Amino acid sequence: MDRRKFIKYAGLASGSLALAGVSAGSFMAGRSKDSYTGWGRTPYGKDQFFNRVPFLVEKPTYQVAGKPERITYIENIFRRNAELYRLLINRHPEGLKWDKSQGIEGLPEPLKTYYTNHPSAFKEFFRAREKSKKQRANWEKYKDKYHLAEAWSRAHSSFLRGPAPFPVEPTGPPEEADYKGVNPNPLPLKSSEHGSKLIKKIAHSFGATLTGIAKIKKEWVYQGTLRGVGQVDFEVPKHWKYAVMIAIPHEWESFYTNPVYGTSYDAYSLLRFISGKLEVFIKEIGYSARSHVPPGQYDLVMPPLGIDAGLGELGRNGILITPELGGNTRLAAVSTDMPLLEDKPIDAGINKFCKKCKICADECPSGSISFDDAPKHVIRGFKRWEIDQDKCYTVWNSVATSHAKGCRICLAVCPYSRKNNWIHTFAREADSRDPTGLTSKAMLEMQKNLFDYPGANEYLPPPDGNNKTFGKPPDWLLTEEWFDI
Amino acid sequence: MFQYSMMQPVIWMLTGLLTAIFFLGMRYWFQDLKIKMHWWKWLLIVVWITMLALTLGVTFTLIGENESKAGIRFVLFFGLIILLTGGGLWKIIAKK
Ligand code: SF4
Ligand code: SF4
Repeated sequence: MDRRKFIKYAGLASGSLALAGVSAGSFMAGRSKDSYTGWGRTPYGKDQFFNRVPFLVEKPTYQVAGKPERITYIENIFRRNAELYRLLINRHPEGLKWDKSQGIEGLPEPLKTYYTNHPSAFKEFFRAREKSKKQRANWEKYKDKYHLAEAWSRAHSSFLRGPAPFPVEPTGPPEEADYKGVNPNPLPLKSSEHGSKLIKKIAHSFGATLTGIAKIKKEWVYQGTLRGVGQVDFEVPKHWKYAVMIAIPHEWESFYTNPVYGTSYDAYSLLRFISGKLEVFIKEIGYSARSHVPPGQYDLVMPPLGIDAGLGELGRNGILITPELGGNTRLAAVSTDMPLLEDKPIDAGINKFCKKCKICADECPSGSISFDDAPKHVIRGFKRWEIDQDKCYTVWNSVATSHAKGCRICLAVCPYSRKNNWIHTFAREADSRDPTGLTSKAMLEMQKNLFDYPGANEYLPPPDGNNKTFGKPPDWLLTEEWFDI
Repeated sequence: MFQYSMMQPVIWMLTGLLTAIFFLGMRYWFQDLKIKMHWWKWLLIVVWITMLALTLGVTFTLIGENESKAGIRFVLFFGLIILLTGGGLWKIIAKK
């Protein structure tokens, strides 16, 4: 073969090889566990962060539409349900008595007013109880199939059992509790800028994927109950100046196979460790600190503080969506009086994307997520999409795996939750920079037409659905891969 | 596309080398086929090959991330576009 002929055929072979290389490399990029959002090789790994600088804005993207109000504890479904439940089983801490036959009228305040204004929530509470009974009865049928998922979730929630959960719950008024163990001889901090940088580095070193700092506004503090004190109306303590926000994702594979294989506790346990350690660290360097951690140990409302801290924007599904983690963003905070610099919020187009998207609303098994194009309802002074927490909770009590308590489908199906590989990263980056909205339109068409979504009811157990999961379960959660069942 | 590793620069260099050999080979093919090439013809070829590489890249990334159906739907749709534009491109290029 002459040289010319050789190069001609070598050229064809090289072209094919290069394309094969692109294909193989792409397959690896798709498969790679390093592309699980938030699980880059190190907490400092540059590859997993979105550059926020071009998207910093002065005003957060939530819409103020009146006088911002504090949220009362009774508006939080878990606290409300717990209160009603204690009455129902005759274990109210103040010895109050009530039985179902007395109806809403016979309830003590503030439950009475709440349920008078939201009678459907009262009905839904009992529907959830019915579902929960069925869920327990069904468990016999499912316990082998979901044996590993159950064990995995229980392992993660073990920190909640036992005599000493970490971080330790505050006791007494915040002016005392938050100063317990504070170093009385702090070194002079060079500046609040140094403070912010240091605290973020420390938070990352403890395992936080994202951190940000927000000023604590009055409206982001719960009213009506204060940890360490009890049910009281209170003014926001003066030393609650800043919230150091911590965000981490769920383990990616289990998260993608919600609702039946996922759990909330993997993220909860990590968040508690990170916040608890940060609380101790801040006290050691001489400042007050209090952790606000899941599942319910909060005096602060997390998503708006996450928005103020520039971590992300509020999604249609009522949770914080971050450019890196999408809906797979779980939050905790440490409030402190340490001199810090607050971060700026971002407008990366997430809120705008939500107006068109509605995938979470389509897939929500309880129909709790609004289909309104734009937010219509004014809730405590903010225009927002409404979420029916009570119906959502009923689904938690319906899905086949009883222990993990939750559904998390709206987190998993969010297009922003997809992997941190080149195609999804490109989509996120391009959409944020395109003022015409054409990119988001094209991306959304692809999301809806290329990918399969099981459909809202399919996530429920029979007869309503088929225990479907959003993604394919990993082998380590499939009992049948490891045990004879 | 690849997560950072020692292999990353090597793979890109290799891809660059293969691409260079490919274009050298192409040059000879066109000369032997007596097709007159202009800069804009080369540009069209580069654009088309980039589109082809991207289509393959997206398809296999989706297959890699357990979204095989999405990958197949993608390649069916964009693959057809690639084929059609490829045919058109050949007609333009082959004009002597
Ligand atoms: S957790 Fe499930 S039921 Fe609740 S809003 Fe999200 S998708 Fe709907
Ligand atoms: S699924 Fe769509 S509408 Fe829902 S939060 Fe995510 S981007 Fe917004």
